[in-house]
Amino acid sequence: MARLIRTEKEVEGRFTEQWIVVEEDALDQWPAGPRTVVGQPTRRVDGVERATGAAVYTADVQLPGMLHAAVLRSPHARARLVRLDLDAVRAAPGVRAVIGPDDLDVLTSEPCYEGHGVAAVAADSFEAARAALELAAPEWEVLEPLLDPEEAVRRESLLAEPRRHDRGDFDRGLAAADVVVQAEYRTQTLLHNPLETHQSVCHWEGDTLVLYTSTQNIWGVRDEVADAFGLPHDGVRVICRFMGGGFGAKNDAGDYTLVAAELARRTGRPVRCALTRREENVVSGNRNATIQRLTAAARSDGTLTALGGEFVSALGWDGWLGPTAGPMQMLYACANVRTVEYGAKLNLPPMAAFRAPGFVEGTFGLECLLDELAARLELDPLELRRRNHADSDGTDDRPYTSKNLMECYRRAETHWERRHEVRARSEGPWKRGVGMASQIWYGGGGPPSYAWIRVGSDGRAVVVTAMQDIGTGTRTAMAQIAAEELGVPLEHVRVEIGDSARGPYSVISGGSSTTPSMGPAVRSAAADVKRQILEIAAQRFHLEERVLDLKGGNVVSADGGSWSLEEVTGLLEDAQILGKGARGPNPTGMRVMTFGAQVAEVAVDVETGEVRVERVAAIHDVGRIVNPLGASSQVEGGIIQAIGHALSEERLDDPATGLVLTQTLDAYKVPTIADVPEIVTELVDVPDEHLTNLGSKGLGEPPIIPTAAAIANAIRDATGADVRSLPITREELLHALEAAREQERRGAAAPA
Amino acid sequence: MLELTINGGVHTLDLPVDRPLAYVLREDLGLTGTKIACGEGHCGACTVLLDGIPTLSCITLAHTVGEREVTTIEGLREHPLVDAFVRTDALQCGFCTPGQIVSASALVAANPSPTRDEVRHAMAGNLCRCGAYPKIEEAILTWRD
Amino acid sequence: MELRRPPDAQHAVAALGNGSLALAGGTDLVPLLRDGIVRADTLVHLADAVPRGIDGTRIGAGTTLAELEVDPQVPAALREACAQAASPQLRSMGTIGGNLRQATRCWYWRLRFPCWLHGGEVCHAKAGQHREHAIFGNERCASAHPSDPAAALLALGARVRTDRRELSVAELYRLPTDESRDVVVLAPDELVLELDVPLPDASVYLKAMDRKKWAFPLVGVAAARFGDRVAFGLAGVAPIPWAVDSADDLDRATPLPGTAYKVQIARALIARAFSAL
Repeated sequence: MARLIRTEKEVEGRFTEQWIVVEEDALDQWPAGPRTVVGQPTRRVDGVERATGAAVYTADVQLPGMLHAAVLRSPHARARLVRLDLDAVRAAPGVRAVIGPDDLDVLTSEPCYEGHGVAAVAADSFEAARAALELAAPEWEVLEPLLDPEEAVRRESLLAEPRRHDRGDFDRGLAAADVVVQAEYRTQTLLHNPLETHQSVCHWEGDTLVLYTSTQNIWGVRDEVADAFGLPHDGVRVICRFMGGGFGAKNDAGDYTLVAAELARRTGRPVRCALTRREENVVSGNRNATIQRLTAAARSDGTLTALGGEFVSALGWDGWLGPTAGPMQMLYACANVRTVEYGAKLNLPPMAAFRAPGFVEGTFGLECLLDELAARLELDPLELRRRNHADSDGTDDRPYTSKNLMECYRRAETHWERRHEVRARSEGPWKRGVGMASQIWYGGGGPPSYAWIRVGSDGRAVVVTAMQDIGTGTRTAMAQIAAEELGVPLEHVRVEIGDSARGPYSVISGGSSTTPSMGPAVRSAAADVKRQILEIAAQRFHLEERVLDLKGGNVVSADGGSWSLEEVTGLLEDAQILGKGARGPNPTGMRVMTFGAQVAEVAVDVETGEVRVERVAAIHDVGRIVNPLGASSQVEGGIIQAIGHALSEERLDDPATGLVLTQTLDAYKVPTIADVPEIVTELVDVPDEHLTNLGSKGLGEPPIIPTAAAIANAIRDATGADVRSLPITREELLHALEAAREQERRGAAAPA
Repeated sequence: MLELTINGGVHTLDLPVDRPLAYVLREDLGLTGTKIACGEGHCGACTVLLDGIPTLSCITLAHTVGEREVTTIEGLREHPLVDAFVRTDALQCGFCTPGQIVSASALVAANPSPTRDEVRHAMAGNLCRCGAYPKIEEAILTWRD
Repeated sequence: MELRRPPDAQHAVAALGNGSLALAGGTDLVPLLRDGIVRADTLVHLADAVPRGIDGTRIGAGTTLAELEVDPQVPAALREACAQAASPQLRSMGTIGGNLRQATRCWYWRLRFPCWLHGGEVCHAKAGQHREHAIFGNERCASAHPSDPAAALLALGARVRTDRRELSVAELYRLPTDESRDVVVLAPDELVLELDVPLPDASVYLKAMDRKKWAFPLVGVAAARFGDRVAFGLAGVAPIPWAVDSADDLDRATPLPGTAYKVQIARALIARAFSAL
């Protein structure tokens, strides 16, 4: 029976209360450990399509008569349009339609950040569109931009009310401490750089807008675009069968989609609007920079007595304040915690979610601070973390649905023990060291999410749901789950996704939520199909349903009977067995979180500032693992992005004008294959018994969270330098080494 | 008119001088396996072979290709590297993957048993933002398995 | 725009100048044309016009970096500089002649800020973001020359033969001036045909960059020993490849606040290069 419940919904640490209808979720979880299909290393079901270039991404969609759009974007961080010659644009060769600031909400005559959309044109080719925009000859009154986040906080230019968390008595906690450490940490602005840039192709078929888009959020784009054009929600059909990466930046429709839709409406022809790489790196979102002034206080035995932090997030002109203080509030048991978070509104391009927004930045600060505290206490950093293990969520005392962080620490020991041997391998200017950091993050997913399954007379199953596979391998995971429940080989299951007109609602692929949200729905749909097959088989073979089961592609009976599935489904001819499944609710009054620990080994050239990450061991607790092969890929990918965050990536803005300088992939340096260390992945793989019929949490985000801190802590272990600012470029490291030498000199000079 | 030999077939095209090969392949010939991710020679997604040599088609003007034979991912669909990439899970979103396989095919043609360092040297121009690198390395090291 | 493919150097030279530009590997020129930083009515494709290949100490200007990095006839410093330059595909496409002519990676220049190097009044990098910029010769313009091979050729004392003269690599480059913002002395229709690279007793190229591979040099140090004389060529430290006699020359560096670290790196790499010889 459908039940109406009020529930808490979480996406990337943002909570909302909402009504949802859920259906009973009566299936018992499978026993822990690898099953026949689930838990077995499995090749991607769409691997060959992707590898051979046969898969059609949004970038590859070519429709008859398709026009190409280009967007005139502000060349200034803050300006007022004085003059714009759209008539000249309109008259240019190949131009079919032009829109300006008065025609669409996302276009403006008073841009507030570089790249803010001003006008757009649809033409026969992208080159013609670009050339036409050159004729617009805009004249600007350039205004003074606000670029400094601290100044913004002083002026109260904020995107949200300051967010305060105050539990216990912070001051009393400080007073009770034997040791107090304070430090300021900084993290940089980062750019997502999915290889497929943000883009859409829009095409009106009568009253329906058909929209191909590179998105993580088919249903969110549908609703956003429908609302913008005053259409019923299903008046927009969103299609995304393959997409070339998002990492959080593709959760919304984006101006390019609305521009393409409006230009398609005006011209009556399909219109593509695709960001160039440079536009991508200016306007498509970023991980905002942070400044974190942190305090940790502890008794001499390591027990934390107080944690405090002031966090300033440089959000840009728009966006939301990620939970940067989250790790400080949740990772350790501490009765007295005081945090305040400011979201500075600046004349810089808007932030967007980027793989564990807030927690990546906050974990860098907190986990470096913990190591500085450990050094002062002369305690082993791993032991310090163990001693402050949180048994429940410190923000509201809720119990965790499952938490195996102590097991992660236990498994980390082998890697942590290597530090003596690693340090001993220091040679000449190359100093070696080992560091670690812990991880906490959401990733429980939730309702609503739905799947349908149909089985035809050939006994093959098709899973139908309008979700997207952003590269995490969810298409494969869903096939595995359906195959497991149906007792059929993986090859007998197809998964049809990526079209809002051809399947039920699915969760956004963000917040590590696809597998934990969709997996239970798919299993539930498969169980519905299985029940029906057994009912039919029972009638066909004159047996009781309770003695029948599906195994290895056969209907089997308790007394040893076995019939191939086709013998049963073959009766159907054109009839089909239709199953449906819905994601059940999360347990009330409990907190679903993911956990982990990573141990990094580095070599540091103290003369040239070079850092080589040589090895990272990652141990994560995300419940049941559906596909160990794909899971290890997720872990590796997260760590590699984090190495870029830690060492080489930074958006640089011109301090005078607020213009983005690192727009190209030679200047903005994402890791190459040569930057990759040895990566050892261990997954605890214990199903969360309180979480749905599957017991799986998400793995997309956890691995990126602790790496930068583990690297910085390893650098401290190797060199004694406190690195408190990302990225740890050569100059940053050389400065930190100099500061450490200076401190040592002062320490030596001071009277005993 | 310009003649291009692509995956063994000859195509005759009328193209402006400033048209890069990648756009010709994708838009004029529908060979969309070759991806464009930066359009300025920095990322390797558009890699094709010209007479067997990995080349960035997004910054190669079609008119300069001359007699050289173009091989795109569509011409490498039966290459054992495809299976090696899928077997080792050497792709995530897959957008860079055709370019990776094209680069790798040139490496293993010249050097069927590359070392790890040789793989890293030959593949450093193919960026993968998902970070499939460890498995790309594994795929190339075990491509004949 | 038109494209010509002259059969030899003589025809190529005749076709150059007056809005015609030479196109070799195109790795720098094609993007610059697209961005409107460089304009041309005619491209003169050099595939048949300049020599390609290595013959003892002589290297055709049309030889690619990929060919140079694996040829045992080539001195180690140049081989290593080529091997560490750019990306594999760029090395396969880019010629040594074109490499010597490549433009700076200065982001202000590439993004078409109206800077001094573009003919404007100020160098935006000096008061702005300049961590990749110059520590020498940066009075007017703080851009850094990005060529690894040019630094190696400078240390090796290589000579350049054009269609009309022979000059050393050191003579090829000049700091841009108010009168001419070019960084080479070549005429608009002058074509680099060949290099002559003396064989040193030993040579090496060391490079500091932001990634392990595929990045332009923060500091590149080439060193070559001829008898008891050691010469150094530096990449990434000045608007042109920069010669120094020893680490002591770094005392005369004029770093910007954000490039002081390059002096320290250069000092370390020069010492290492010296001891490697």
